Amino acid sequence: MRRWSAIPGLPPLLACAGLLVLWELAARGAHIDGLPPAHQALKQVPAILLDRESLFHIADSVRRMLIGFALALAFAIPVGLAMGRSGKVAAFFNPLLMVIYPVPKAALMPIIMLWLGVGDASKTLVIFLGVSLPLIYHSYQGARAVEEKMLWSASAMGMNGLQRMMRIVFPASLPEIFVGLRTGLVLALITMVTSEMIARQAGVGNILFNSLDMALYDRVYAMIVIIGILGFVLDVAFERIRAWFVAWADSQHQIAVGTS
Amino acid sequence: MTQRAAPELLLGILPIALILALWQALTSFDMAPPALLPPPMAVFRRLVEQLGNPIFLQHTFTTLLRLFAGFAIACLVGVTLGLMASSSRVAESAIRPIVRVLAPVPKIALYPAFILILGFDHASKIALVAADALFPILLATYQGAVSVEPKLVWSALAAGTTRRKALLTVVLRAALPSVLTGCRIGLVISCIVVFLAEMISSTDGLGHLLVYASRSFETVDMYVPLITISLLGLSLNAGFNALRRRLLAGYPEAE
Amino acid sequence: MIAIERISKTFETRRGASHLALGEISLDVADGEFVSILGPSGCGKSTLLYIVGGFVPPSTGVVALDGKPVTGPGPDRGPVFQEFALFPWKTVLGNVMYGLLERGTPKVEAEAKARALIGLVHLEGYEGFYPKELSGGMKQRVAIARTLAYGPSILLMDEPFGALDAHTRTGMQNELLEIWERDRKTVLFVTHSVEEAVFLSDRVVVLTRSPGRIKETIRIDLPRPRRRKELLVDNRYQRLVVEIEALMDTPAQRR
Ligand SMILES: Nc1ncnc2c1ncn2[C@@H]1O[C@H](COP(=O)(O)OP(=O)(O)OP(=O)(O)O)[C@@H](O)[C@H]1O
Ligand SMILES: [Mg+2]
Repeated sequence: MRRWSAIPGLPPLLACAGLLVLWELAARGAHIDGLPPAHQALKQVPAILLDRESLFHIADSVRRMLIGFALALAFAIPVGLAMGRSGKVAAFFNPLLMVIYPVPKAALMPIIMLWLGVGDASKTLVIFLGVSLPLIYHSYQGARAVEEKMLWSASAMGMNGLQRMMRIVFPASLPEIFVGLRTGLVLALITMVTSEMIARQAGVGNILFNSLDMALYDRVYAMIVIIGILGFVLDVAFERIRAWFVAWADSQHQIAVGTS
Repeated sequence: MTQRAAPELLLGILPIALILALWQALTSFDMAPPALLPPPMAVFRRLVEQLGNPIFLQHTFTTLLRLFAGFAIACLVGVTLGLMASSSRVAESAIRPIVRVLAPVPKIALYPAFILILGFDHASKIALVAADALFPILLATYQGAVSVEPKLVWSALAAGTTRRKALLTVVLRAALPSVLTGCRIGLVISCIVVFLAEMISSTDGLGHLLVYASRSFETVDMYVPLITISLLGLSLNAGFNALRRRLLAGYPEAE
Repeated sequence: MIAIERISKTFETRRGASHLALGEISLDVADGEFVSILGPSGCGKSTLLYIVGGFVPPSTGVVALDGKPVTGPGPDRGPVFQEFALFPWKTVLGNVMYGLLERGTPKVEAEAKARALIGLVHLEGYEGFYPKELSGGMKQRVAIARTLAYGPSILLMDEPFGALDAHTRTGMQNELLEIWERDRKTVLFVTHSVEEAVFLSDRVVVLTRSPGRIKETIRIDLPRPRRRKELLVDNRYQRLVVEIEALMDTPAQRR
């Protein structure tokens, strides 16, 4: 017995269609100036994507986001793995991370801009900060759960500490690390949009608020849709990669522990 | 246990102390101009001063109001939808795909829409907080509720409890550890989001104070609201953990 | 009377295949009769009890109580699960009182009744303990008390003494017999112990290997009230035990 909901990709598509219909109906029913009907906003999507300047802004944002994400990756995974395998390292970092956890990272933007100026460096640094925390947390959890016996047999085979880390701990923690990566990627997008909204210099977040200021409401909603699609596509693409790498671990929608 | 905890605590304080010392060193040896990085003592003094300032407290109160209103809505909606999805096939096949689509969307992008629809005042900020805190709570409730041991529910049904009542008194109760974890994450997210929303567009609240200070280049005043909101997040998190421990007496998974 | 008529249970496995968990079973149990079910692990004994309890619908066939088909759980049938399924957020007293309060018994009366039952299963002094603070055998006794509390006329017991040590086990067997001889409840009793089945039952039903079907039904016409030390030296008792043990060793004739 195959239910319709078992066909891959169909339920999310139906959900999108349903949400759009709901929007269209709400807009027609409510007659608010600030809520144009869905079809009107959607017409603006290709207009934005074909406009060289906004496309440039979007591409620039995504580039910064990916750089910030990559830097966080290179920093956070080794730290998380080391914390997971050594009680001392964990005791060293844990209180610091606990203190940093509730700090709104994107809110550091004005302060960092004082130090580093309004350029790429500030925005990338903020994204790096936003993404690092969940990545460290999940690498830590993954490494902590590695079975002691696996490491014993590795030592018996003559592996040294670094080799054990690279060849046993890292692959064994991979499922958990991927959960962190996925959370981190969505978080990178969130931090990127937020910091651009705060800095109001360039990028996706800036387009959003400029359109708002100029009362181009269709454009505001079109931009929201584009960012929404970006978030969803990144998530799905990442889920694919994850499933391919760690087919042996179960896949469920994990709760994001990260905060922007 | 106590013999081990003490050195570990010291080890944990070390990086925090190092950062503070570095901060102090940078300012006292004039390596950073005070306009960019004020000395830590100045920030601390200003923080204490502001905590006795009624205007500052008024802003803090506004922020807290938005925070709790949004968080309460998120809890109510998230727990209800999560329970519904876990208990009915029909609800599940409607809620699951919508959550799948909306959960990875950066909710902050919806903020302009909320402003357009709900106005510049409290409502748009509360809506954003609710939207952001909703998904972790919903997902945690759903995951907790579907993994409740069915025999717990059966035991209640056999004793004469109705299905509807068992959903609240048994399923929700048994899923409480997971639900509360989701709520705790949602609470910290609420704390952060309300601040960011106030920074982006507001005329009051802690986030507004930061932006206001940065426009007038009052560096010390930029740090104070940021530290205040972080301390609020930290203490709300700790308070929630304490509440969680009390509520979860008896559960094997409560530490 | 419980009339189990040609019921079977098929589970859908995740890969879309189906798995026959319980072959076709027909069995009538008279009011006040004590029937034990024996069979290899995984043959469907628990599943059979769940179907009679109304927790799981059969794939084919019907179960009727006094002529009325079972459509769901009800307080006329009290289950004691293999996994105890105690409410982790309630104390021992709270668990035992649960069914009484659900039926609208006033609190004072419910508590008095619950305390008496806790005494019956020898757990005085543990009223305020949470299930996680009890041993496996103690949890099992709480589960029995919780079910007895709301006075079901039919008991569905799934290896209720499985987690008990030999000494407590014989004690509980005597206790159960005493309750049964006093109240004459109808009991469906799943066990792995042939001695226990013979000692307690009016009839013993032996199931085949999975998917379980009825291999043989043996009437135990030992006199009641039964005393353990008399039975152990009784020839008829010994012969029944040997006969049933032999039955369980030989493979089924039919597929
Ligand atoms: N929810 C389920 N989904 C799929 N198969 C199940 C499910 N529950 C039970 N089964 C299968 O049904 C069969 C019977 O299970 P059941 O628990 O009734 O056995 P049992 O006789 O009680 O075993 P035991 O003596 O070990 O308790 C088993 O093969 C089991 O794999
Ligand atoms: Mg069983």
